[in-house]
This record gives sequence, C-alpha cells and structure tokens, in this order.
Amino acid sequence: MVMPVKPAAATVSRTAMAKPRDRRWPSGAAYAGFIRFMLPILALLIVWELAVRGGWIASNVFPSPSMIFARANALLFSTGPEQGMLFQHIGASLYRAISAFALSVIIAIPMGFALGLMPAVYKWVSPILSVLLPLPAVAWTPILLVAFGQGDRTIITVCFLGAFFPVLYSTIQGVRSVGKQPVWVVQSMGGTRRHVLLNVLLPSCMPALISGLKLGMAHSWRTLVAAEMLAALSAGLGYMIFAARSYMDVSTMFVGIALLALIGMAIEYGVFGVLEQRTVRKWHGASKVGGMQ
Amino acid sequence: MTRASAAGLGANFFDRFMVPIISLSVPLLAWEILARAGILNDFLFPPPSSIFPHMWAKSGVDIKGGVLYSHVYYSMLRLLTGLGLATAVGTLIGILIGLTKWGRFLFKPLLSLFMPVPTLAWTPILLLLMGVDNKTTILIVFIAASFEIILNVVAGIENMNIKVFWVARSMGASPLQIFFKVIIPGILPYLITGVKLGSGYAWRALIAAEMLAASSYGLGFMIYEASEFMDMTTIYGGLAMIALLGYLIENVMMGAIERRTVEKWGVQVER
Repeated sequence: MVMPVKPAAATVSRTAMAKPRDRRWPSGAAYAGFIRFMLPILALLIVWELAVRGGWIASNVFPSPSMIFARANALLFSTGPEQGMLFQHIGASLYRAISAFALSVIIAIPMGFALGLMPAVYKWVSPILSVLLPLPAVAWTPILLVAFGQGDRTIITVCFLGAFFPVLYSTIQGVRSVGKQPVWVVQSMGGTRRHVLLNVLLPSCMPALISGLKLGMAHSWRTLVAAEMLAALSAGLGYMIFAARSYMDVSTMFVGIALLALIGMAIEYGVFGVLEQRTVRKWHGASKVGGMQ
Repeated sequence: MTRASAAGLGANFFDRFMVPIISLSVPLLAWEILARAGILNDFLFPPPSSIFPHMWAKSGVDIKGGVLYSHVYYSMLRLLTGLGLATAVGTLIGILIGLTKWGRFLFKPLLSLFMPVPTLAWTPILLLLMGVDNKTTILIVFIAASFEIILNVVAGIENMNIKVFWVARSMGASPLQIFFKVIIPGILPYLITGVKLGSGYAWRALIAAEMLAASSYGLGFMIYEASEFMDMTTIYGGLAMIALLGYLIENVMMGAIERRTVEKWGVQVER
C-alpha cells in the first residue's frame, strides 16, 4: 500500500494554522485551555451559590447550584421510584424525537432527490414549500391537538414538521449542485441509471445530505421541548419541566434543562460528528488542502 | 429581436407570477371543492373561503371590537422589543468578544454553556420568575435572537482588516470615534445578517412562547385558545397570519433596513 504523498502546501498550511500557544506548552496546552474555559463557568456557579446562601435570591424561587446537583443526584442515582421516572422521561423524549426524525428522513430524502432531479416539478412545487417554510412547526400544534388530541401522535407530527424542511432543502441543494459532467462521464462509459445514482449522485451530495440530517435532528430535538410542554400526557423531558412548575420545583426544571442540552449535544457531536468524520471527511478530504487525515 | 425579448418577458412574467398563483390555488381549490362536497371532514378542514370572512369579522369593529388587531399588535410589540434588546446586548457582547481579551475569556465559555439549551426550555423558569406577563415572552424572544447576533458580530470583527484600525489610530481618532466611525460601519453587514437570522428564530420561539405563557393576546395565544374551543377556522386563519407576518418580517422589514443602511452607506464586506 503506497501512502499518498502530501502536497507541500498542505503541510505548510497546517503548521501555519497551529496556534502559538500550542508551541509554548506542547503537553499542558490542552489542560490550560480547558481550565481557562471552565474558569468563567465555575465563577458563575460560585457567585450564584453565594448569592443564594447570602439570601439575595430566594432559594425557593431560584435554587442554588448545590441544591440542583443534590436534586440531579437524587433523580439519577437514588433507588426509589423517582429514578425510574427520570429515565422514563428521557426514554419518551428520545423515542419521540428519533421517530419523528426517522419519518422525516424517509419522506424528505426521496422527495428531495425527486425535486432536485426534476426542475420542472420543482418550479411548480416550490411556491407551496416557500409558503409552508416560514410557519413555525409548533404553530401546527393546535390543529393537531384538535385532530389527534394530546399524546405521542401530536408530538411526533410536530417534530416531524420541524425536521422535514431542513432535510428536504439540503437534499435538494445537494442534488442540484452536482455537475452534469460526472453524470455524462459515467453514462458515456455505459453506466446505467443505477450507476449514476449510486456512484455519482449519492457520494457527491453526501456532505449536503449529512448536514441536512444534522440540522433535521437538531430541529426535531428543539421542537420537541415545546411540543411536549403543550401536548404530552405523562412523560417526556419537556413535560417534566413544565409539570415541575405546578410544584414550584425549580431544581427539577434546571436538571431537565441541563439534560436537554447535554443530550442534544451528545447527538450532535457524538452521532453526527462521528458520521461526518467517517464519511465526508474521509472521502472528500483527499482533494482538499490540509484535510487529509 | 424585439419579439424574442417580448417572448422572454412573457416567459419571465409567467414564471414569476403565474406559476406561484396556479400552484398555490390548485390545492386550495381542491380543498374547497372536497370540503363543500362533504368528502373532506369539514369540521377539521373548513373550506378556505370561510376562513377569510371569519378573520375579517374578527378584525372588524363589532361587540368584541377588532380582536385580531390586538393579537397582532401584542405579538409585534413583543417581537420588536425582544429583538431590540437582543440587538443592543448582542452587539455589545459580540464587540467585547471580538476586541478584548477578557471579553473572550469571560463570554465564550458562557456562550457555549447556554447555546445548546433549547430556547423554549427556559419558559417554565421565566414563568415562575416573571409570571404570565409580557416580560416572559419578550425574554424568550431575546434569548432566541441574541446568540445568532453575537456570533455574527464576532465574525464581522474577525473579518475586519486590522489596517483600518491602524489608519484611524495614526490619524488621531479617539476610542469613541473608532467605535462609531470604524467598528460600527465595519460590522454592520454582519450585524444585519445576524438580526435577520435572529428575527426568524425569534418569531418561531415567540409563537410557541405565546402558546405557553401569554395571558390574553398574541397570535400564538389566539390559535392555542381556539384549539380549546375547537374553532378550526380561527386556527387556520391564525396560521395564515403567522406565515404572512413571518415572511414580511424576514424579507420585507429586514430587506428595507438593509437597503437603508448597508447599501446606502456603501459599506462592503471586505474579504
């Protein structure tokens, strides 16, 4: 196996991009950066804690970080009925967000390919899409509440509407940006439609496709919170936060908010970041300066 | 030659005006006919021709007295107040991050701490702190819009040419002059892009926040209340209003601001 030779420009640009700080502390740079990053957050937590302990903020309205951590600890690790409840909320939320996302992918990607490959159809459909696009997905909730009532069907449909448009539009864009020449090359070498689709269209619109999937999942997750507050019957993180309002249980709200942010980030970086690394970076990196790793 | 250009104009006119009108009216007509014929459930899908008179009646002066105006007025009031706040605070924080070391040190970690939180998750906490009030919805608008504005202002400063600062300083400009004559015009195109994107997010968040936290007025409140009375005509009318206003805010209003400032002053993005 012959290793591809790196172009000189790539190495030069890589060293030029390295920060001067990295050169000063080659081993501790990451730690120093992390500590610098955490300092303001820790300062915020300490000021908040002191403000509550000192009595400037009423602790029943706005609990201190230590109270929130205690609550999180109780919800996560106590072996009571509460622990089961928290994981039930997380499970319900994940089930709804992921099934809405899957539904939108199943419908939007074939539709995006069809609209991207047939400009005549796109011309007639795009006015309808551009009327529906500025509508917030959550605004459909009242109609769905009347049609389906409260429950999973309403929530999943709202999240589906939130995820559908980003996936559709990036698929259309990806398909339309594929040049005609590669298609002609494959056709002139005797490639069938299947070859064109699998070997030309799919790989070249992969970056747009994956960024669409990433956006779609993020929209699905963000829409979920509002949809669950409006239409959940008994479970879900959004429901947990909104129900905690009736008991003035602000600690639980903060635990829910932190979990929403953490799970959203885990999906974005853990799932889609890795997917991007495995596919787009690997396939397209070789043709770009400094991207070959 | 003239005939060719006339034919081109005709095709252009057809594409620009007739295609959208036809493609939008065909589904509406189908809906109307199916609803009138009783094939479509006319409780869930009231015929579109009944929606406009209904909204017109809501906006007219009757016993209730033009409720629709109040809904639109309160929604716009909340949106514009929150957007104004977000623009002021976002520009300030963006400039601090872009220009000062301590600003970057202080605000960047806090930004990446708060940005992944879905905006509407703050609603219950704000409801407890502020109550069911305009303040809650305005703060939601503020949170939804400010991140996009901050990020764009920072990008604007990072893309400014450092030589512009040198020139201003070597000619003896005071810090205040540098701020108003160099920084503000320099970041303006980015700032307006940020406000434009932010207004889109803010409008979406506002409608949801009004469903959760408005007391008596607002378009979001209107459609949510209508769903409790199963008043489908009002819901569809409200959806049409929300789509129309969202389009007007993002394209017409922000476009006008863009023309008044960026294009008139001739500020260009330097690359």
